[in-house]
Amino acid sequence: MSIRFPSEEWVQAFFTAINESPEYKEGGKPWTHGVTALVVNAQPEIGLPEDYGIWLDLHEGVCREAHHCSSEEAQTAPFCIFGDYARWKQVIHKELEPVKGMMQGKLKLKGNLQIIVRNVKAAQALVTCATRVPTQFLDEP
Amino acid sequence: MTYDSSLSFIFMNTTRVVFGPGSSRDVREEVRALGCTRALVVTDSVLASRTDVPGRIEKTLGDACAGVFSDVVPDSGVHIVDAGAAFARERGADCIVSVGGGSAIDTAKGIAIVLKEGGSLRDYEGFQVLKRRQTPHVAIPTTAGTGSEVTYVAVIKDHEAHQKLLFGDYNIIPDTALLDPELTVGLPPHLTAATGMDAMSHAVEAIHSQQNEPIADGLALHAIRLIAEFLPRAVADGKDLVARGQMLIASNMAGAAFSNAQVGLVHAIAHTVGARYGIHHGLANSIVMPHVVRFNGGEVAATYRPVAGAFGVGTEGLSDEACAEAVAARLSDLAARTGLPQTLSSQGVPEDALPELAEATLADASIIYNGRTVLDAEEVLGVYRAAF
Repeated sequence: MSIRFPSEEWVQAFFTAINESPEYKEGGKPWTHGVTALVVNAQPEIGLPEDYGIWLDLHEGVCREAHHCSSEEAQTAPFCIFGDYARWKQVIHKELEPVKGMMQGKLKLKGNLQIIVRNVKAAQALVTCATRVPTQFLDEP
Repeated sequence: MTYDSSLSFIFMNTTRVVFGPGSSRDVREEVRALGCTRALVVTDSVLASRTDVPGRIEKTLGDACAGVFSDVVPDSGVHIVDAGAAFARERGADCIVSVGGGSAIDTAKGIAIVLKEGGSLRDYEGFQVLKRRQTPHVAIPTTAGTGSEVTYVAVIKDHEAHQKLLFGDYNIIPDTALLDPELTVGLPPHLTAATGMDAMSHAVEAIHSQQNEPIADGLALHAIRLIAEFLPRAVADGKDLVARGQMLIASNMAGAAFSNAQVGLVHAIAHTVGARYGIHHGLANSIVMPHVVRFNGGEVAATYRPVAGAFGVGTEGLSDEACAEAVAARLSDLAARTGLPQTLSSQGVPEDALPELAEATLADASIIYNGRTVLDAEEVLGVYRAAF
């Protein structure tokens, strides 16, 4: 059964997918730079009235905690990536590579891009984990 | 150039470009055209102390000049940007006129952010996080190399944390660029050569970028033609206004190209050796560029066929690999003709440092766009060894 994105249920499924992923366990090993938060920008017309934050406490190949958070809380994380719904959907479909998306303004990064690039394998593994979550998108029937 | 049906890109080039000998004397009118009345001149300490260029801009601005901030140094810092913004606020500035090379223009981009948004520049570290246009900015380059007057990136050092911070945002692209060849005639030959090869590296890297696209390619290819023809002339005779002007145009076009298509392994290496050994950025680019072309040529040789053509090489009957080799040879030849050193060892890089430099290069953001995907330090080390 597909899980609505974004939702707390989806976040927990993502959490599980990350911790079950051998790719992330290996690729994420060098990551010691703290929480990465993701924010899906509000889009009321598809049923997303407020920004939706996802708090990912990642450390050395493990996701120690994941939960829904407010946009304000997300912005307290060392790394916060913002994007419109359609952009996150492209990321989950592997149609948009996140680092390239940041440089082109399709996604917005608050934080040090050099550190993200240094950990590009971790970023790629996270995207792979997201593709493993059976996802129901808000703008699809 | 071949593009497939998956071609998809964003091209941004919002800067008004005003070119011509004496065009910097239009600065007051250009400030007014932006709806501004009080401009802060941002320049570097060397230019301010050794030339009359900033003074001339100040004089031309007249009562529209809010003051001159001349504390910019190479590897400009967050603290300098914050001080500049405080000075601008104190003087009631509503726009910025930057005069100088990449450091002055990048510092001005940072000041534009802090003056508009408040706080410290550190608060805005990131990519595309700004939600509105920043303080209006007229950029007047005095070197023909960085293309910073049309790019969306500023590199500013955090001297406390000992790290370079990247600020990338379409909202910090300067509004206006005044390209005045008269302002570059005082640049000595070795800096003319090094900055000119910096522009060349922007053009070549835009073309061999994984994000290359037809608009940026067109700009980059013509920039290569101009640099190949006019850089030797500008080096040989600094007062050759035609050569100086064409080099400014080439730098501008290459800047617009790489601001959209991005750069690659050449810059990743140049950033790394620049940070460790203080090698001039343009010179570092010049040294490694032929070797990166040969490295990339092993996988994406066809990329270099039009580049060879832009260098005037007859490509009919040549294999793609031969075109890549011809480009590498032309780049080395151009560096030699303009008197630039061609090895890393000549710049004080010790051989036993190469493996560590190769590892560090992998962490540079530029590398992700290189035409040939690089994930292995051993591959980068091969390029270092070739350039040693």
